[in-house]
Amino acid sequence: MPTKAETYRIDVIMQENHLLVGLKQGDAGIFSFLFKTYYKDLVLFGSTYIPEQTLCEDIVQSVFMKLWDDRENLHIETSLKSYLLTAVKNSCLDEIRHRNIVKEHQSHALAFHQQADIDTENYVLYSDLRRHLEESLALLPPLYREAFEMNRFGGLKYKEIAAKLKVSERTIEVRIGKALLLLRQHLKDFFG
Amino acid sequence: MQKNKQQQLQNIWDVAGAPLNPDHIDMEKALKRVMHHVKPTIWYQTPFFVYWQRSAAILLLPLLLGSLYLALSAKRNQTAPQPTPPALLEISTPYGTHIKMHLPDGSSAWLNGGSHLKYPATFAPGKRTVLLCGEAYFEVRSDPNNPFIVQTKGLEVEATGTAFNVEAYRRDSLVTVTMAVGEITVRIAGPTPPIAMKPGERMAYNLENKRYNIQSTDAYKWYAWKDGLIVFRDDPLEYVFKKIGQTFNIEIEVKDSSISQHLYRATFEDESMDEILRLLAMSAPIRYKYFDRKKGEDGHYLKQRIEVYRD
Repeated sequence: MPTKAETYRIDVIMQENHLLVGLKQGDAGIFSFLFKTYYKDLVLFGSTYIPEQTLCEDIVQSVFMKLWDDRENLHIETSLKSYLLTAVKNSCLDEIRHRNIVKEHQSHALAFHQQADIDTENYVLYSDLRRHLEESLALLPPLYREAFEMNRFGGLKYKEIAAKLKVSERTIEVRIGKALLLLRQHLKDFFG
Repeated sequence: MQKNKQQQLQNIWDVAGAPLNPDHIDMEKALKRVMHHVKPTIWYQTPFFVYWQRSAAILLLPLLLGSLYLALSAKRNQTAPQPTPPALLEISTPYGTHIKMHLPDGSSAWLNGGSHLKYPATFAPGKRTVLLCGEAYFEVRSDPNNPFIVQTKGLEVEATGTAFNVEAYRRDSLVTVTMAVGEITVRIAGPTPPIAMKPGERMAYNLENKRYNIQSTDAYKWYAWKDGLIVFRDDPLEYVFKKIGQTFNIEIEVKDSSISQHLYRATFEDESMDEILRLLAMSAPIRYKYFDRKKGEDGHYLKQRIEVYRD
């Protein structure tokens, strides 16, 4: 007997084939279903490259329009999700090159995305990961969690957190780093 | 591996600190903008329905004119050559698994292990025909004008809006149809007149002697597999092992005729083959003899073989 997860996975693959066939035939219902499913996650993904909402929304909308215009010649070797993520990533990188803002924008995320090419097939979307992430955060030692949340959710810089908690900046760096490693440990199975 | 880990860390980092608030992204507005650009060749029913509700009165006249035009052009097209049948899609399932799929007309099909189903990407008007080899359970979307037809070896089943199970494995000489809901008509190849079946009935057709019989039955047990269950209700042990063998693609033979007719009741849910065999041996006086899997001439492993003896 297949496990529930295996059955589900086969179901997803089949559904994806069905969606692609419909899309190629020009089924607007399937197109809007895909849009509803992926739009927010793709905008959020784009914002890790360029943290500007309007621009990211424009990019994702163009990606979808292109998906529609090219639907008959669409050649997807991996998955729709991976195809869409790659398209958004490439548009964002084009935009960054275009603006030549690389040097001014040394956020951690940007630095990473530039050096390592991400594997879109195995990238987990915001809406899939978020809930599990919250469960894992609850399992962290309180000090690590506090620093991590102040930085990631509160948007405070390491320096500001250090001042608030009256510890050194280096301590904050260590706590956040450890929090991240522990989170990955908790979520390891989820990444598959 | 290292790269994988790095990516996962990055993935968590991105999701935890998304620079935008997802609640501030207006998906509906964006969808409207994009749909403006999209010129569909097929529209789904939902958007059409919403549209209809909003402008029912204005639409009535053009709709009438439209249907008039369609009716007239349909008449004119009657002499036109029939379009070539659309290419068929095929779905296969490995042994020991089952899947649920959606057909293009909105019907659902569950395909049991070791089965193949062929269906067109879009059904042509008139008949919704699918081809089955193996076992499948169908929940057919109601549409009396376009009957749903399952073709399999030796017979075909016609339905409009019903649920039923068809079992027609290639190496079996018995084809069975079990009715869950609604009404169906079964047509056997040859001169036999069509047979109407009602819920709770099960038809078994023997391909060798071309005979069939219909019995009342507890219909669910015949398609419980779609929910991951294997159900036995006072079934002889011989049948129990045949069913398990079919599910997991192994060969099980009961070597002692004194136990083969023992009746057995059980329900197994998502259990592995080993676990099922263990549970059976705990509740019946049997033991197993396992044979090593042999390699066939083409280098493939042959089926695992298990013999059952009285303990």
